[in-house]
Amino acid sequence: MVKTMQFDRSFIKEVEERSGQRFGACFHCMACSGGCPVSDIMDYLPNQIVRMMQLGLRKEVLESRAIWVCLGCYSCVSQCPNRVHIPYMMDTLRELALEEGVKIGEPDIWAFHREFLNQVNKRGRVYELEFMARYKLATLSLFRDMGPGMKMLFTGRLELLPHTVRKLQDIRKIREVCYGRK
Amino acid sequence: MGENDKDLAEVHTPHPRVHYYPGCSLMSSARELGESLFQMSRLVGSWLEELKDWNCCGASPAHSVNQNYAILLAGRNLVLAERQGIRDLYVICPSCFVRLRTAEKTLIAEPEKNDLLEEAIGKRYQGSVRLRFFLEVGSSSRLNIFQQAVVNPLKGLKGVLYFGCLLTRPEWITGFDVLPYEDELRSFVESLGVETLDWGYGKQCCGAHLAVTKPDHVDSMVDRIRNHARRVGANCMISFCPLCQVNMELRGKNSEPLPVFYVSELIGMACRLPRSEKWVRKHLVDPRELLATHRLL
Repeated sequence: MVKTMQFDRSFIKEVEERSGQRFGACFHCMACSGGCPVSDIMDYLPNQIVRMMQLGLRKEVLESRAIWVCLGCYSCVSQCPNRVHIPYMMDTLRELALEEGVKIGEPDIWAFHREFLNQVNKRGRVYELEFMARYKLATLSLFRDMGPGMKMLFTGRLELLPHTVRKLQDIRKIREVCYGRK
Repeated sequence: MGENDKDLAEVHTPHPRVHYYPGCSLMSSARELGESLFQMSRLVGSWLEELKDWNCCGASPAHSVNQNYAILLAGRNLVLAERQGIRDLYVICPSCFVRLRTAEKTLIAEPEKNDLLEEAIGKRYQGSVRLRFFLEVGSSSRLNIFQQAVVNPLKGLKGVLYFGCLLTRPEWITGFDVLPYEDELRSFVESLGVETLDWGYGKQCCGAHLAVTKPDHVDSMVDRIRNHARRVGANCMISFCPLCQVNMELRGKNSEPLPVFYVSELIGMACRLPRSEKWVRKHLVDPRELLATHRLL
C-alpha cells in the first residue's frame, strides 16, 4: 500500500494569505537564490525557505537568520519566472516571527529596525546621529566601525540637530493603530 | 522622462512650482545631493517647495517588521500632499519613491488599509497625487535645458551608471519601462560630456542597511562592484540614490576607492552652477584630484 506523507499546511496558507503570494507557483529553479546578493550569509537560501514552508517547518523558518538578512533589493522577484514575490514573503515572515515571539535569528538586524522605528515614532523623522548611538548601545558594539562614522561626521554629512514633525500626534496614532491591537 | 507624456502646459509655465518630498537623508548624509538639486531646479526656473510637515516614509525597517506601519507612514505624506493641493509630488530618494508608490497602490487597491489610515489621521487618501521621481523634473523637453546649459563638458570622466536596486525595480511599482528608461539616463549623462562604460553591476545591491549590521559582508559586496567598475576602466561611478552613494564611497576594503557622483552633481559641474565646487568637498572619496587632472574644477 502506498502511504502519502502529511504536512502541516496551516503555516504556508497563513503566509500566502498575508503576503498575497502563491508558493505553488515556485519551480524551485533557484533563480532567486542565484541572484541574491546576500545568500552567502543566509543559513537557508530563499527558495529553501519556500520549500521549508511547504514542508510545514514553521519554527525553523521563523527562527532562521535568512528572513532577517534579506535586504528587499527585489533582485529575486525580478528574476523569478513566476514572479513569486520573495521580499513580500520575507516581510510577512519577520512580522510573524515578532508576533509569535520566537527566538530572533539576527538580533542585531532586528535592533537596527527597532531603533530606526523608535526614531520615527519619536520625531516623525530619523535623526541619524542618535539613531546610530542607540543602535550601538543596543547591540553593545560601541567601538565597532568607528572610522566610517567619524568620516561621515567630519565631512559634514551627519545632521547635528534633529528635526521633528509638527503634528506628532499623527505619528503616534499611526503607531498605535498598527501595533496597538493585535 | 519615464511616462512620455509631454505636458506642454507645464513646459511653458515660466516658474512652475515643484513640490518635493525630501526624505530624511537629503539634508544629512546626502547633503550634496540636496544642494545640487536646488541649483539644478533654479536652472530650469522652477520654484522648489517642500511638502509641509512631511514624515519619514518608514524606509526598510517599517515594511520589514510591520507592513501596515509602512503603508500608513508613507500614506500620511500622500494625504498631506492631497490636503496641500499638490498634484505632482517629486521624490528625491529612490527608496522613498518605492515606499510611497507602494503605499499609494495599496491604499487604492485595499480600502481596509485606507480605513486604518483614516482611523489614525482622520483622513483617507483619495488618490489624486501623482508621484514622480526627481529626474522627471526634466520631462524630456526640460532635459534639453540642461543640455543647452553645458559650458564645461565633463571630458575625461569615465563613469559607470550605478542604478542600484530600486531606481527602476520593481517596475510594476515604479511604473518605469526599465530598459528605455536606463538608455535615456545614459544618453543624458553622455550629453554632459561623461563617457559611460558598459558593465554588468549596475543593479547589484550596495548592501543597503546591512552596512551597519554586517559591515564585513557589505565591504566584500562593495569591493566586488567597485573592482568590476575599475576593470572596465571607470574613474568614477554615477549614482541616483543617497544610500548607494554613501555605501559605495564609505565601504569596501580591498579595492581602490572610486568617487561616486550624483547625477545632479554632474549637471552642476557641467553647467558650472553656483556652489558646485562646495559639494565636491563633501565626498567621502575626494574627487578633486580626478577633476583637477581633467581640468574640470
